[in-house]
Parts: sequence; C-alpha cells; structure tokens
Amino acid sequence: MATTTASLTITSSDLVGDALSLSASNTLHKAGTTTGLEQATGLTKTYLTAVTPIDLFGTILPSGSTGNVSTYEGKSHWIYISNKSEDETEYATITIGDKVIGRLYAGDFMWMPWDQATDALDGTTKHADIELAPSVATGMWFEHCMIHEGMKLPTSV
Amino acid sequence: MATINATLSVTSDITSSGLSINDKMTMTKAGTTTGLEKTTGLARRFFTSTNQVDLLTAASGIAADVPTDKLSSKLYIKNVGSDSAQYFTIGKGNSSGSATETAISSDGTAYYRIGRLYAGEWMIIPWDAVATTGDITIQPSVATEMVVEYMVFFE
Repeated sequence: MATTTASLTITSSDLVGDALSLSASNTLHKAGTTTGLEQATGLTKTYLTAVTPIDLFGTILPSGSTGNVSTYEGKSHWIYISNKSEDETEYATITIGDKVIGRLYAGDFMWMPWDQATDALDGTTKHADIELAPSVATGMWFEHCMIHEGMKLPTSV
Repeated sequence: MATINATLSVTSDITSSGLSINDKMTMTKAGTTTGLEKTTGLARRFFTSTNQVDLLTAASGIAADVPTDKLSSKLYIKNVGSDSAQYFTIGKGNSSGSATETAISSDGTAYYRIGRLYAGEWMIIPWDAVATTGDITIQPSVATEMVVEYMVFFE
C-alpha cells in the first residue's frame, strides 16, 4: 500500500487585520477506507497550441449493456492541474462534464476530488470529463496529474 | 493590494521512483499581477441531514461580493470530520434541497457533481461564481453531525 500525502498552506500577512495562516494535510485513501491509493498517471507536462478544449482526464465507459454507467463512479480520484504560463493575461478554463469550474490564470493550480459521475444524458463521451481550454493559441504549458483508485484505459485499435 | 500565497505539496511512494509535486501560487486578480484583496473568511458549518444544499450561493450570502463574471476567485473546502466512511459530495449548480441529488446533466446547465471529500480531505479550485448555476453544492453522506470548513478568496 502506498502512502500519498497532500498538504496545502495558505498564508497572507496583509489580507486581513491579523496574519492569515491556514494549513491542511491528509493522506489519500481509497473511497471509504484507510487504504492508500495505489495508482497514478504520473506528473505530466503538456504544451497546448490551440484554444480548443481538450480532455485532460477523460472518463471511458464500459461497453455493452452498462454503456451509460461509469465503472469508477464513487471511487477516489484526485486531480492536480497547474497553469505554468508566465503571462498573467493567459488562463485556462477548466470544466467538468461541460460545466465550467473556473479559470486557472498564469501560475495558478488546483487540487480537487473527481468522482467520474454518470450523467443523465445518454452520451458516450462526456461523462465527467475534465476539460481544459487555453485562452490563447500561442502556446501554453500545463502540468497535471491524477492519483486514483482505478480508471478504464482505451482499447487498442 | 494583499499578498496571498498558497503552497501545495504532494509526496508519495506510489511509484518505485516516488512522486513529488510542489507548487506555489500567489493569488492575483484576473489578467494582472495585482493580488486579491477580499475573502469570505474561514467559515465553519455543521450539517445534520443528508439534504443537498448550497454551501455557497453565487452572488448571495457570504459570497455576495464574489464576482459572477469569470474573474479570479479561489475556493477552499475541507471536511474536518474524522470518520473515514463519511463524506461530503461537492458539486456545482443547483442544489435539490432534498436527500436526492440534483440530476447530473452533461450539458452543464443545471448541475454537475465534482467529487467526494472524505474525512480530512480538502480541495482548492478556481470558482466561476456565475449567477444562478454557479452555486457550490454540498451533500453529507450521513445525517449524524458532519462539519465542513470553507473560504473564498476573490477580487
């Protein structure tokens, strides 16, 4: 069993009247257990040169009669995305299942759980996909990683 | 202008070579290098039912001043519980107000589930607090008392 620890510290000496210091740390477990997560995509670095939204993390559905159900719904997945641009005007729009979460501006990162939820539509490609759309086509760098409990990989063609 | 720094560290022996993520961001206003200046403060909320409700309602309550037009807002949420089987389901969009989760629609109009926060887990995301469908929803997994802490930094 692997041990993965995620920690966050937020500090500011001038946001409020007294210094702000917030710290959070936890070990990543499989859903509802104290067993550590054992799979990861690795830390990936990507250079995007179009504003077209791409699936950074796609949900692949099982084939056959369960084709509308995500096998890994309710499992534990953790997503890290970082916008490595150094131009403060450049951002990426992050969405889940076509629902906009927010914009990651240059230097921003995000860390969140991902449920791979099954949606109510009978689509085959949109289920909980994490999408990223750069704001410019002149080239933007991103880093991303998923630490997880399981994912379905595409069948070779 | 304030200076707010957030530092993320992920360490793991999940691969034979380990895995390490270290990142730092200074929270700035959209498209600028000017620091964010506003916050809701760290809020703490208790739940005693499994109803899906708004944790943050866009343009309302403690989020009344959070921009609704795709500017720079950061949202932090933590499940401060200690029972590893209990979790909050976090989503974005319209809450049902009942124990039945709002139907998830992949066209993104009404609601989409983001993920679960089990005991001790936390998240930090940008928040596009668009009016009407930009609410942050929360649903406890049990009706016994569960506690969440959350905070928004915004421009």
